[in-house]
Amino acid sequence: MDNIASLFYGFGVALSAYHIGLMIVGVLLGILVGVLPGLGAPNGVSLLLPLTFAMDPVAAIILLTSIYWGALFGGSTTSILFNIPGEPSSVATTFDGYPLAHKGEPTRALSFAFLSAGFGALVGVIVITLLSSAVARFALKFSSPEFFAVYLLAFCSFVGLGGASPFKSIVAIGFGFAFGAVGMDSVSGSLRLTYGFDELLAGISFLVAVIGLFGIGELILTVEQGLELAGIRARISPRDVLSAALAMPRYWVALLRSAAVGCWMGITPGGPTAASFMSYGLAKRFSRNRDKFGTGEPEGIISPETADHAAGTSAMLPMIALGVPGSATAAVMMGGLMIWGLNPGPMLFVERPDFVWGLIASMYLGNVVAVILVLATVPLFASILRVPFALIGPVIVVICFVGAYTVGNHTFDLWLALAFGLVGYVFKKLDYPIAPLVLAMVIGDKAEDAFRQSMIMSGGSLSIFWSNGLVATLTCAALVLLFWPLIAAGLRRLPGLLSTGRRTPAA
Amino acid sequence: MASRFQAELATALGTAAFGAVVVAGAIEYGIGWDSAGPEPGAFPFYVGILIIVASLANGVQALAQHRALAAAGFLDGPHARRVLIFMALSVAFVILASLLGLYVAAVLYVAAAAWWQGGYRPWVGAACGIATALFFYVVLEKAFQVPLLKGPLEAALGIH
Repeated sequence: MDNIASLFYGFGVALSAYHIGLMIVGVLLGILVGVLPGLGAPNGVSLLLPLTFAMDPVAAIILLTSIYWGALFGGSTTSILFNIPGEPSSVATTFDGYPLAHKGEPTRALSFAFLSAGFGALVGVIVITLLSSAVARFALKFSSPEFFAVYLLAFCSFVGLGGASPFKSIVAIGFGFAFGAVGMDSVSGSLRLTYGFDELLAGISFLVAVIGLFGIGELILTVEQGLELAGIRARISPRDVLSAALAMPRYWVALLRSAAVGCWMGITPGGPTAASFMSYGLAKRFSRNRDKFGTGEPEGIISPETADHAAGTSAMLPMIALGVPGSATAAVMMGGLMIWGLNPGPMLFVERPDFVWGLIASMYLGNVVAVILVLATVPLFASILRVPFALIGPVIVVICFVGAYTVGNHTFDLWLALAFGLVGYVFKKLDYPIAPLVLAMVIGDKAEDAFRQSMIMSGGSLSIFWSNGLVATLTCAALVLLFWPLIAAGLRRLPGLLSTGRRTPAA
Repeated sequence: MASRFQAELATALGTAAFGAVVVAGAIEYGIGWDSAGPEPGAFPFYVGILIIVASLANGVQALAQHRALAAAGFLDGPHARRVLIFMALSVAFVILASLLGLYVAAVLYVAAAAWWQGGYRPWVGAACGIATALFFYVVLEKAFQVPLLKGPLEAALGIH
């Protein structure tokens, strides 16, 4: 088994005191941003990214992915203890997590969440280990039309499976492409869409956009609601953790089903949010205890958590193997890869096997570190949430603005972040999905290059996207996903199967 | 105050206007075909068209669901007031940051927000603000050597 040998090589790269130290720091920072309202995984990673510009790429990606794992766990903590999802993807965890904690079993609720999250992540990493090099090897055959078809597939699956209104998803994607196109045109070298602003010549950084859209937008929403936090006190006793761990195997059906849903939604960029809702919906439909859902049923915690983390983890697979990120956070990381001078996609496996396998190995370690740390530090982080929002909110605002400034040392970026904040706030209130916007912004140039090169190859005819079996299959799959809501409505007159997933805004 | 219907419609118009701006900007750079393939404006042009079409579809959807959406609230008095205060403070922060640097702006902003929005005593807010600024100074300036925007105060104190 090639992959196993590569994996051990990766452990050789990842296992050093320095890297483990970075993991611990990353996971703790991640839990912090996951717990704090207004700071989630995408902008936690965005805020830290400028600090990694000078780091070695392997160390940098370990730090950033660890923040991601930590943030996913942190988001679940607030869902369960405060009934406030720290991340959009942990909204479904509040349905049964908070009731169980409220009934006086916070430790059990948290243990179920963390252990199933760890299981989901593990399945995600195993999928990555087994599939990534095969996917990359397959993708080496791709030329421009195939790459464009893959990008199309990614965006169509957002429209069809993302859960938000299809037209709103299209608007969000269009916004991302438009922002990404500002500045230098990567093919001809000419400048465009700068409207006479010198500040726009260098383009709009996706990091500033993420900090505005996710960070400041979320803060405006929090301020609007006048957030009062009333949490449940949690003290983790090892005995309760153990009893929850022993109860876990009983839910093997839910675990496996949710992991499968999560991996699927992570690889096709439906994202962790859609995955967790869909998984919850399926569990509610098929569980023997479906009547108890909403009152603190363990399966109602295990299902969304497993799917959330499986999706969050497996979203890294298309990012490293194809250069198509499966979630907003993966998109930010992919932007980071490009800033560090790496070229995400199939060639990465050939050019930088140390990076790829070091990253994959670090995912195993990072998630183990994350489960242990999150169990150990829950009381600490829960107490941070008891600091009144009126004090901690302004500090988070300043962190966001400072983060936007550190991206490129431009004062203009502060205004941009504020403008993106307003857009993010309105989009969130009206259920426009933000993740596809970020994705389009990060891969906009690559998608456009692929499209233009395809057009040059074909002399301007769209038929090139049907010119061979491979590209035709990809294009058709994209169209099926694009029209999936219509197709699904036709296929099933059975109500309810996906309805829980359908109505939710994607992260 | 504003209903969900008004918000949906206004946003659809706003996104359509944005699409129009993109289209206008793209046309400037040529949307046709030249010796090197599609011209630089072509891709943004179609993106802009796509935004306009999808925005119109959103507008039509809002009109179709007028009754349900008009009944749903979007933003009412006290909520809107909090949002406006937050935005006013943020704009003030960005202006202050451009003039006085990020450190001074951070102290003033945190102090003002805690005092005005949170109802804390001014010295609590000020202490919080100074702690934030010191934190940034130590972490960014010292540990990671990432310089932040500085203003006249830092220059007077001789901090670079």
